[in-house]
Amino acid sequence: MREKNYTHSIQIDRDKCIGCSHCMRVCTTQAIRIIEGCAVIQPERCVDCGECYRVCPQHAIYAMDDGLASLAADHYRVALVPSVFLGQFPSDYSATEVLEAVKNCGFDEVREVEQAVDFMKEAYRIRAGKQLPRPQISSYCPAVVRLIQVLYPSLTSHIMLLKAPHDISALYLRLYREREEFDSRKLSLYYITPCAAKTVAARAPVGESASLIDGTVNMKEIYNKTLATLLARKEKGGRKHVADMSPDSVCWSLSGTEKHYFPGRSLAIDGMENVIDFLEKLESGHVSDIDFLEMRACDQGCAGGILCPGNRFLTVERLEQRQKRLQQLKDQQEGRVENRLLEYSEMLHPLSGVEPVHPRDGLLLDEDMEKALVKLQRIRRLMSYFPGFDCGACGAPSCRSLAEDIVQGKASISHCVFVQRVMEKNYKLSPDQAFVVIEKIWGRGRLNKYNDANENES
Amino acid sequence: MKFCYEIKGGDFSAGGSASSQVKKTLKQFNIAPQVLRRIAVALYEAEMNVVAHAWRGSMCVDINIDHLNVVIEDEGPGIEDIERAMEEGFSTATEEVRQMGFGAGMGLPNIRKNSDEMKLTSTPGIGTRLALTIRF
Repeated sequence: MREKNYTHSIQIDRDKCIGCSHCMRVCTTQAIRIIEGCAVIQPERCVDCGECYRVCPQHAIYAMDDGLASLAADHYRVALVPSVFLGQFPSDYSATEVLEAVKNCGFDEVREVEQAVDFMKEAYRIRAGKQLPRPQISSYCPAVVRLIQVLYPSLTSHIMLLKAPHDISALYLRLYREREEFDSRKLSLYYITPCAAKTVAARAPVGESASLIDGTVNMKEIYNKTLATLLARKEKGGRKHVADMSPDSVCWSLSGTEKHYFPGRSLAIDGMENVIDFLEKLESGHVSDIDFLEMRACDQGCAGGILCPGNRFLTVERLEQRQKRLQQLKDQQEGRVENRLLEYSEMLHPLSGVEPVHPRDGLLLDEDMEKALVKLQRIRRLMSYFPGFDCGACGAPSCRSLAEDIVQGKASISHCVFVQRVMEKNYKLSPDQAFVVIEKIWGRGRLNKYNDANENES
Repeated sequence: MKFCYEIKGGDFSAGGSASSQVKKTLKQFNIAPQVLRRIAVALYEAEMNVVAHAWRGSMCVDINIDHLNVVIEDEGPGIEDIERAMEEGFSTATEEVRQMGFGAGMGLPNIRKNSDEMKLTSTPGIGTRLALTIRF
């Protein structure tokens, strides 16, 4: 069985994109092509990791969220705020103060996502005791989960079938409200997202038919509004007086915390390239004796999320400070933590799992083995004509991907500038025809622009 | 369709690149993930055997509609006693090789476990030939 849900958050603004191909070069799944002067994403391959977003010099790539405007006016609106958001602000602002300011953005209630982490720790311990494929790969980072679905189909069975903390928080809030006989249809839960992948996870969850999150709001948008409120405020807001979660819960979204809660041997790997490098090894049976893999697409974990406005290293330091303050609170209470969510543990455990994760067909040449073999044969033949420079002038990230596009009927051999010159030399292609081909890739205006400039000069 | 890759003996840093290439190609076919995994493991082990024991070798992969044939041939010391070599835990790997995490004597048993057919022939002092078949 293969998964075919290709919902995405990463989008390209056609008015801003100049087809410069920076994004195409960094895309880890080779999902981007340049067509008519504009980057186009292949939905079956994109994993919403946001590497393209980071490098776009035109700021033409954006992460589509549901936005504040989507907040239903007659609903009870709850914002689920991840710790990394609090880490965007200087430590003089207390968590209580920042959360209060977030509430001002149009929410009726604000909750910290990481309250669910104490539950996650229990869930990890339970799963560690079960006979599951080793290593178990954390399902926390949705970009990593999708990367495995696309590039490492044989490792999908290793993904831990457990909901993410914000989903557990959402589940808890729903259960808690239901107990209070609150009409759950009137409850809207919004997640303040640090990245595009989490938005996709909320819209098209893997292993679940529907998400418990009603919408996501881009962290940058909330950041600006929250900062304005904080700056306008005259007197200082309050501080927490009880530790309502374990101190290190606040660091869960950073790289290296999660792994401590899976008994046995574990590794924390962050950064898309590192993740790929390791999965490659794992797939070949290269890695043994590891029980758990914590993998994050972004450097430093969620602090490096593409929608986090602050510096990731400062964010990490601030969260570490916050951990210390929570530890002080915990010490004052003689080691007690008053986490209300844990009262629901028994109800949450049976609901915390997800269905098995299936591979995606992003790499498939053809469903039919025979046809796929013929296509592969053609790819090999085509490769012998291409220079192997991976120059990208054809609008594909590599000679190999151009060959693949050709056999899939998405490109033609004359897209290669080297092949074009050879064809022109052999009188198989006129310079005018070559221009037409180039215009199809680089966009219509591209070549005219240079004609005009030359005329002006002479 | 046939592909051949060279394998360099003793080059542990490059070890695994041939099997990795094959793996990449096979992901473009509609092969069940579990089968893909078996192929990945068998080919990697076979390639590392050449790296760890032989001077040079090659991996030739023939992709067919319902199965994969692989031949890994090397020039090297060969295997004296094939039956013993197939025993779990038996290894002639040097101490250096073992320190690198290889040579636990699980290579050949692992290959056998992951392939549908396996044929191992060797001439001591000349080299070894390993032929595998894995059905999709």
